[in-house]
Amino acid sequence: MSAPLLEVTGLAKHYPVRKGLILAKQVGTVRAVDGVSFALARGETLALVGESGCGKSTTARLVLRLIEPSAGTIRFDGQDVTGLSGAAMRAMRRRMQIVFQDPYASLNPRLNVAETIAEPMLVHGIGDAASRRRRVEELLSLVGLRAFHAERFPHEFSGGQRQRIGIARALAVEPDLVVCDEPVSALDVSIQAQVVNLLKDLQRRLGLAYLFIAHDLAVVKHVADRIAVMYLGQIVETASKRDLFAAPRHPYTRALLAAIPHPDPQRRGRVKPLGGDVPSPMNPPPGCRFHTRCPFAQERCRQEAPELRTLADGHQAACHFAETLPPAGLDFSGGLSEAAAKRLALYAGARRRAA
Amino acid sequence: MSGTTLDDASAPAAPARPSALRMLLRDIGGAFSLILVILIVLLAVLAPWLAPHDPFATDLMAVMEPPSARYWFGTDGQGRDIFSRMLFGLRVTLGMGLASLVAGGLIGAVVGFCAAYYRRLDGLLMRLMDMLLSFPAILFGLALAAIFGPGLTSVIIALSIATVPLMARIVRSAALVVMGLDYIEAARAIGMNDRRLIFRHLAPNCLSSVFVFSTLRLGQVILLGSALSFLGLGAQPPTAELGAMAAQGRNFLFIAPHISVIPSLGIFVIVLAFNLLGDALRDALDPRLRL
Repeated sequence: MSAPLLEVTGLAKHYPVRKGLILAKQVGTVRAVDGVSFALARGETLALVGESGCGKSTTARLVLRLIEPSAGTIRFDGQDVTGLSGAAMRAMRRRMQIVFQDPYASLNPRLNVAETIAEPMLVHGIGDAASRRRRVEELLSLVGLRAFHAERFPHEFSGGQRQRIGIARALAVEPDLVVCDEPVSALDVSIQAQVVNLLKDLQRRLGLAYLFIAHDLAVVKHVADRIAVMYLGQIVETASKRDLFAAPRHPYTRALLAAIPHPDPQRRGRVKPLGGDVPSPMNPPPGCRFHTRCPFAQERCRQEAPELRTLADGHQAACHFAETLPPAGLDFSGGLSEAAAKRLALYAGARRRAA
Repeated sequence: MSGTTLDDASAPAAPARPSALRMLLRDIGGAFSLILVILIVLLAVLAPWLAPHDPFATDLMAVMEPPSARYWFGTDGQGRDIFSRMLFGLRVTLGMGLASLVAGGLIGAVVGFCAAYYRRLDGLLMRLMDMLLSFPAILFGLALAAIFGPGLTSVIIALSIATVPLMARIVRSAALVVMGLDYIEAARAIGMNDRRLIFRHLAPNCLSSVFVFSTLRLGQVILLGSALSFLGLGAQPPTAELGAMAAQGRNFLFIAPHISVIPSLGIFVIVLAFNLLGDALRDALDPRLRL
């Protein structure tokens, strides 16, 4: 990885919690994202996974500077975008776009499809009315919609079709990076396959880099090149997809993988689900943030916060005992449950038929 | 499953989106109230041509006459034709209502928008609105009449001030809801400037609640304005205004009740028409009911 497209270092977002009506007093801080670092190469897909509330979506919005970070830097194509202001940032936005989770909220109900897709070009002053019109038709066919759809309004489409419109809008300005914020979790499983395959297809054709936020590990396994696991606002493990699924080094990653539903009665009782809840990000536990739920926690974990250490080439984990943990015991084929494997087979089947 | 190809189920025969007007007319109350409102406005606009008598001409030979073929709604204490006066009074009443609604509504909308968009101003602006809200409109009318003297202008200013906080609240809450939606964030991610974001994405999606509120508020404002005129703070004689006309008949309530009752019924019908229309509009503009 020579020069990454996106390089994030020590990114943090702290929200002050205020109490009181008039003289609001700060009573605490929610550490939504607390020191996250990662890099993303051109044409690569990095998946951010974790439970709800672990800061995945906040990280995505920080990267696009839809939320201002409290600390840390974001370098895009070698340029520091953290300090960019006004016009410079708006110009930069042309190169990074976002696809949202909820296709019902992400399209303005009063604009028709052509207006929605042409808008980014209009804002950046690309082309004239006729060329924009042509480009809209091009984009519609690119995402598998038809030219006559251009005159319709969002409420006339299904969820999957709306998501395609959202993707077309994101691609209108030919970005290098597309942040996908759970782009398929609001869709039916059969539609998920279509949209995921569309995204992969577009990546191959346009050389896009994806920052892919998800909590569905089956989808992640299908799209990602590398995976970063987040817990309570921090990255606890990053590895290539293969390494992560085959040999997870962090106890939290193991728990996540073990939690993949698995229709195997033999397995019952062998998997111990993770107890407890995610601690409040307002008051994260001292030491390792995972020690309150970790089955391997020791005295050191309560005292000392583990660094994200490089264990092998491209495999990092934030655990004091990453090397000495017992084998993961995720003894199902390929590290993936049968159900997930079946679903992936379905994806692949749909893909072959489409090709 | 069709992979990445489109589904042909939705073929070109594009179903036209039912317009808000059609949705409104589909509802009996909506159609009725819309016709009534149009009729009222027409009567007011065409008053000079429709009025059978001069609204200011007194006929002392026909004082306090009950409704008859010559005087449809009878005559008042000075022998003026009540029907003609009501037609002209309608103009004053509607004009007063509209003027205060537009003035108060515009200011309120700007305040509400600023409070929603510039979150830092929110607390300050909305507490100011709460202060305004704590005064009844009649009190504003009294105060302004004391300062500027009674008259239509005072009433219009008083009603405008009373409308500002209500509109501000409506617009603020509508804007807050819309601003939380993903397409606003998408617009930001595109790199849109504030002006375009507000006028293309934010404002149009707040309009329906503003529309509904305006219609309902017009009825209330007309009622309040008539009440102020009834109290002698609004339109001054000999101006014909429905509330003032009702007030003039007060002394003859037992001898010639029609002088008060008929203009009052007029106010009742107008307010009812606008309220019904507002309710019907709320249903017609609700995107969840529109398929």
